[in-house]
Amino acid sequence: MLPRFELSQPQTLPEALKALAGGVGQPLAGGTNLFPDLRGGREKGDTFISLSQVGELRYIEHTDNRVTLGSGATISDILRDPQMKIAAPALVAASDIFAGAMVRNAATIGGNVCCGSPSADSVPPLLTLGADVTLASASGERTLPLDEFYLDYKKTVMKPDELLASISWTPPTPGSAHLFYKLSRRKGDAITITGISVLVEAEGGKCKTVRIALGSVAPTIFRAHEAEGMLAGRVLTSELIEEAAQSAAGQCKPISDNRASAEYRLLTAHSLTRRLLRQAWKQAS
Amino acid sequence: MNQVDTSPNAIPNVNLRQVGKNKPRNDSPTKVYGKAIYAGDLIMDDMLFAKVLHSDRACADIKSIDVSVAKTLPGVHSVLTADDLPATNAVMTDMPGQVGGGTKNTKQPILAKERVRFYGEPIALVAAESYELAQRALDLIVVDYEDTEGVYDAFDAQKPDAPIVYGNDNIVAAYKVRKGDIEKGFQEADFVLENTYSSQYQEQAFLEPEAAVAWVDEHDILNIRSSTQVVEHFRAVADALGMPHNKVHLQAPYVGGGFGGKEVMTIEVWLALLAMDAQRPVKLKQTRENSFISHGPRHPFTITHKTGVTKDGKITAAKITLTSDAGAYAKLSPYILLYATVGATGPYRVDNLWIDSTSAATNNLPTCAYRGFGTMQATTACEAQMEELSKLIGLDSLEFRRKNFIQTGDPNATGQIIRSAVWSDQCATKAREALGDKPKSTEHTVYGHGLACYQQSYGRIRWMKDTSESWVGLEMDGTLIVRCAVTDIGAGQMSALAQIAGEVLGVPMEEITVYFGDGHVNPLAGTSTASRALYMTGKATELAAKNVRNNLFECMAEYFDVRPEELDLGDSKVFVQDNPERCMSVKDMAKHCAAQGVHRHSLEIYRAPPSEGLDPETGQGEVFPDFTYGAHAATVAVDTDTGEVTVIKSVGAHDVGQSINRQAVEGQIEGSALMGQGFALSEELILEKGVLKNGSFSEYLIPTSEDVPEIESIILESRSGLGPFGSKGIGEPVFSPVAASIVNAVADAIGTRIHHLPLTPEKVLTAINEEKTKEAAE
Amino acid sequence: MSSEKAVTLRVNGNEVNIITPAHRTLLEALRHEGFVEIKSGCEKGDCGACAVLLDGVPVDSCITLAWHAEGRDVTTIKGLGNSDSPDPLQKAFIETGGAQCGYCTPGMIIAAKALLNENPEPSLDDIKKALSGNLCRCTGYTKIFEAVQIAAEDLRKEGEAA
Ligand SMILES: Cc1cc2nc3c(=O)[nH]c(=O)nc-3n(C[C@H](O)[C@H](O)[C@H](O)COP(=O)(O)OP(=O)(O)OC[C@H]3O[C@@H](n4cnc5c(N)ncnc54)[C@H](O)[C@@H]3O)c2cc1C
Ligand code: FES
Ligand code: FES
Repeated sequence: MLPRFELSQPQTLPEALKALAGGVGQPLAGGTNLFPDLRGGREKGDTFISLSQVGELRYIEHTDNRVTLGSGATISDILRDPQMKIAAPALVAASDIFAGAMVRNAATIGGNVCCGSPSADSVPPLLTLGADVTLASASGERTLPLDEFYLDYKKTVMKPDELLASISWTPPTPGSAHLFYKLSRRKGDAITITGISVLVEAEGGKCKTVRIALGSVAPTIFRAHEAEGMLAGRVLTSELIEEAAQSAAGQCKPISDNRASAEYRLLTAHSLTRRLLRQAWKQAS
Repeated sequence: MNQVDTSPNAIPNVNLRQVGKNKPRNDSPTKVYGKAIYAGDLIMDDMLFAKVLHSDRACADIKSIDVSVAKTLPGVHSVLTADDLPATNAVMTDMPGQVGGGTKNTKQPILAKERVRFYGEPIALVAAESYELAQRALDLIVVDYEDTEGVYDAFDAQKPDAPIVYGNDNIVAAYKVRKGDIEKGFQEADFVLENTYSSQYQEQAFLEPEAAVAWVDEHDILNIRSSTQVVEHFRAVADALGMPHNKVHLQAPYVGGGFGGKEVMTIEVWLALLAMDAQRPVKLKQTRENSFISHGPRHPFTITHKTGVTKDGKITAAKITLTSDAGAYAKLSPYILLYATVGATGPYRVDNLWIDSTSAATNNLPTCAYRGFGTMQATTACEAQMEELSKLIGLDSLEFRRKNFIQTGDPNATGQIIRSAVWSDQCATKAREALGDKPKSTEHTVYGHGLACYQQSYGRIRWMKDTSESWVGLEMDGTLIVRCAVTDIGAGQMSALAQIAGEVLGVPMEEITVYFGDGHVNPLAGTSTASRALYMTGKATELAAKNVRNNLFECMAEYFDVRPEELDLGDSKVFVQDNPERCMSVKDMAKHCAAQGVHRHSLEIYRAPPSEGLDPETGQGEVFPDFTYGAHAATVAVDTDTGEVTVIKSVGAHDVGQSINRQAVEGQIEGSALMGQGFALSEELILEKGVLKNGSFSEYLIPTSEDVPEIESIILESRSGLGPFGSKGIGEPVFSPVAASIVNAVADAIGTRIHHLPLTPEKVLTAINEEKTKEAAE
Repeated sequence: MSSEKAVTLRVNGNEVNIITPAHRTLLEALRHEGFVEIKSGCEKGDCGACAVLLDGVPVDSCITLAWHAEGRDVTTIKGLGNSDSPDPLQKAFIETGGAQCGYCTPGMIIAAKALLNENPEPSLDDIKKALSGNLCRCTGYTKIFEAVQIAAEDLRKEGEAA
């Protein structure tokens, strides 16, 4: 049983933006976060603006050197897209172990990014892709790096009249490695304890680009810039990787909850970052 | 891959035609076509919807309950608190069903009055025109609580200054076993090993939350259709309401899983009260969250084993203490403790034995029946100890077990002589063989093999004098009817009866209709608990069918001019064994016999072997009708970076006596493999000062399809059990060793043992790191 | 009071009209209409007992709004087949014993159906992945996997014969 609410069902993006501009009402996409949270009393709200009829938001576009995901694309859409395995291998990996089939069919990428949950599985891979987010409101659009999107636990830079329109990135160069590891208490359909994504691009025996993102180990999912700085332009020796992994772990501010303790999250953030960096380096070089 | 073995020393059975075969169950079609109606699916005219106000604290005085506003809400028809109930305000929570004697007569308030003793204790009931209205009424009820000091640990509860939750000392039950001379036994030992093992709360997590509909009919009979394992709760409902037993009619349609969680009364009495008060049909379906607090989960146990062994592996003495957390009310804790006590030594012979066991009350969730019923927790500890002992003396762990297995004719912990076959060795050997070689370690992965054996009873405690009845009748068209009030909770209880009656009377099970789950129309059959349903109701059905067969044969012998022993029934025909050409269809036989006035129906009762209880000083006596023996083995992979455990292979090998339906036996083994895996690895109710923190399916993690290992079922048939055709009970037995085998496999993989379950990745990683530190120091 | 709306949808091919407020889930609305073959085990997307096909796509009806089904096709387990013309999955579940208590079965078969529609030759891993949102406490899933494999085989044979 859900608490009572009003729902508007705009059919087009301008209609949706107009509804949002009214100042009452929160976007509702697949509802796979919102409904459980409303039912459990963790989320309040008496007016929602459904985005599910807004066809303009549900698309996946591959152009020359850019991939764009409409915020209404579902996790299943990502899995069904044959080019995505090349355009975002770790995002496919994250989608593959995301929830169960029914939830994957309803859950949107927009909802996953916007919910601001530290355990949102699509976000570490998107961060390591260096993705940008495009926010839209009745008064226009703005695009910013996803890396600047999160402010704090479940807080983003998005204004109440804005919605996430799309997410885009430049696909990793062929030969680079893009990895994701989800650590959880069971294999299927579980909330992430520690989620790590790594991207490594090698050139001439050196690491050209490296991005590291860590989920569930701080109030927001974040990039380990310092660790990335330690690796960029260098040959990734075991020692160097170990130092970078330590640095990444140093940036974590984990909490203890029913799933795991803060200490365990730290330990695994460290060991998994190390593991993924090694694996990525091996794969890329 | 599954295999069957009927070993050469098995007692040959008559040529079985249906029993033991792989038969599609006759309850399957209705379920796969979406036609099966569960308790919460019934829709009645004029029906009201109920909600229950559960306490959100674990230990508090209730200063007042104000329902005045809730009552005025339009559409709300009934709001009940303890003040509105019969003065006794108590419902029986003791062993349900037809029990001849020896129960503890435990009771629990129906609704909390002056005090709440556990998180979730029911306080008020509401029936309204919709669930939404009922919920709004609940939200308008104001309970003024004053928190009081509670006790949340079974050991703390036994301290002299502990807050009292139960009786005058918080002791819900205690047993002792004194046998032989342990001093002498320990002196004879070359090694003595002492270890403490503890295990957690486990939730039944049946997929169908508690649900029922209650209504008063035109005969003033209170009808309840409920998702229960026990239709004989009608007596407890009647007693609670002060009604005659014969005015309460409780029926169970198909039940969406029970596992013990629907053994003790759950929501039936609440609905009874509401339906009587509102005089309209009332439905209640618990939400998943409320389901977690509407039945008792598995008891956490702390078990200490001190064991003496000789260098060549003979156990010389054991001193064992067991402590369980009963939570705020007794429920079935005394019995579960007794099962754990009997199971403490596993399937091993220990002549010098000392056991003390205690169940203590706390302000935690009241714990209750759950597949394995204490034996499972005892097995998990015992098998860990066996593994540690074999490691200590440097003997292969199966070899070590072999030196100590109970054999037929040996006494078990309480001195009961085992009369049926004990095939622990055969089962363990086969289970372990099936694992094959252990994979080689890789960069982040280590592998381990684990084995566990068990001794698990089937059938209820003997001094309960359990009985079961069944009725079998041959219709004029040659079809068969079985009437037996067994509840069908998913294990194929109903279908098995068709197979048994069909075997005896030569009719294919597809042509048999079984009326079940309704004790006012069908003969009472007792509970679907304690791995007794097939044993007891199957036996009663077998006996009834044999009576019919004898009656028919008497008549047909005359017709064929042979002796009755010369006849047989099969493939819908009666025939002369030596000359099968001389035959008649069952249909014609039915007509022929009917014309002769032959009694084609029979009602039979099966009585389990009784006993008179245990000697309170020595704990010696006959507790159970019989036991099932077997083994489970597992291969695991452990990720040394994260502590994640993956079960790769899971093998159950069990002497089931005689399998009635092979597919159903495999189904029990496979289901157990996953439920035991959940217990070993991921399942744990988290309570903080009695308050449940993870009561939902996203936080309490039962295994999913992606957690499934390769599962192999090895079925052995000694045909030595007390059940129909020599079968033994299997529902619980095949479950009890699973977790232990996985835990042992993890210990094998990481080279160290974790003593507290479940083995979460975090605990495993901590153990790996501690072991590394230890090794580095050495 | 939230506004109510008339919603028209098709359930197993038959038109159904309901008047319902926005917060009503498809599960609640359809069970209220008597489609009690749709089960509920958690009401929050964790168990899959409530799965139905919405325009052929499996969703958890407990976290789908009734309003969102406007004009769409809902298929429940009863829409897949019956004893006279069973779906190969239904036949296979009977054959292997894939249903024990049967409570997860309607949702399980719906999820399996969607898998086979999309992937007629699923590997064991594909099956595991497709069913990971459907909890079953009785069977240990093994006989369910077997049933899906048998049904896939049957469908392939049917396809070849056609
Ligand atoms: C059983 C189950 C399993 C799950 N498993 C996983 C998992 O494995 N990994 C994981 O990461 N998550 C998981 N989730 C959580 C959830 O499914 C995802 O976060 C999902 O992507 C949310 O998307 P949605 O479309 O359902 O969002 P909604 O619930 O509709 O919305 C979520 C939030 O985002 C806002 N929002 C949505 N779209 C927009 C937009 N375009 N612009 C602005 N704001 C927007 C909403 O206002 C709301 O606050 C699971 C959920 C369930 C029920
Ligand atoms: S009831 Fe819908 S997923 Fe559980
Ligand atoms: S058959 Fe009972 S939950 Fe699946």
